[in-house]
Amino acid sequence: MKTRPQLTLDDCLKISAAAEAEARRNNWIVAIAILDDGGHLLHFARMDGATPANAGIALEKGRTAAISRRSSGKWEEFVKGGRTSMIKMPGILPVQGGLPIVVDKVCVGSVGVSGVQSHEDEQIAQAGIDALQKG
Amino acid sequence: MKSTFRIAVLAAAAAVAVPGFAQQPNPLDNVPDKMPFDTPYGAPIPLDRAEAAIAAAVAEAKKRDWKMNVSVVDSGGNLVAFQRMDGAQLASVKISMHKARAAAQFRRETKAFENGIQSGLNYLITLDGIIGSRGGIPLMDGGKLVGAIGCSGGTGSQDEVSCKAGAAAVNR
Repeated sequence: MKTRPQLTLDDCLKISAAAEAEARRNNWIVAIAILDDGGHLLHFARMDGATPANAGIALEKGRTAAISRRSSGKWEEFVKGGRTSMIKMPGILPVQGGLPIVVDKVCVGSVGVSGVQSHEDEQIAQAGIDALQKG
Repeated sequence: MKSTFRIAVLAAAAAVAVPGFAQQPNPLDNVPDKMPFDTPYGAPIPLDRAEAAIAAAVAEAKKRDWKMNVSVVDSGGNLVAFQRMDGAQLASVKISMHKARAAAQFRRETKAFENGIQSGLNYLITLDGIIGSRGGIPLMDGGKLVGAIGCSGGTGSQDEVSCKAGAAAVNR
């Protein structure tokens, strides 16, 4: 039987805390969603002042990265490159700020962030993933 | 001939049923002086308090080896924080959010809906946003509703125990 790594709640707390710290360092206010490899929510935090819209966007960016195993920014590039039909892909929000979490070459979930500029959202998500991979 | 007989039977049944119905007053016709659950809405709950409520709910569940999904929404019913414990069932992600949102937007514990439906108030299930299961509780600060917590994963009674631990940690 094949086995695969799985995110625990403790992992999520670590990822979310590091992502939130990265946001605070830059005086950014965001919502941070962490999902499993099926795109189901594991952990969510909306910082004070982040909008209800940020909550939904962070979730959708995260879902995109989790179920497609690639960053939501990659999907944005597809669209920007002229493949506008990618906008209609089911379950895909083609906006940068959602990253897959890859452990031992397996996608175990994702982080989605919304609240500041899209590349800054992604920077926050990456900071969360880095904290997990540093151990 | 047959149809005439049926009509006669129906008419007889109606004649019996109508006076019987008229004798029982409809409790929903009662007009109370005061609004029920007339709690004012306050500012949205800050993230640190939302996370404190979730941590307390999760700790209570962990102590009993229950696997919960726990959501906290603000006074507008919008998601502020969420945690899924290891091994908790997937359906409860949305159920916990629904319970929290319903508790905030109706300003009462979701147990009120469960009780109402159980006692025969079936019209409750036609109301928008209702969930007829305990485990959603308003979060209060100085007499104002600042949010709500929702737990799901076990039986309604287990969900409620976790939820109450969460609410008790932050209510003031």
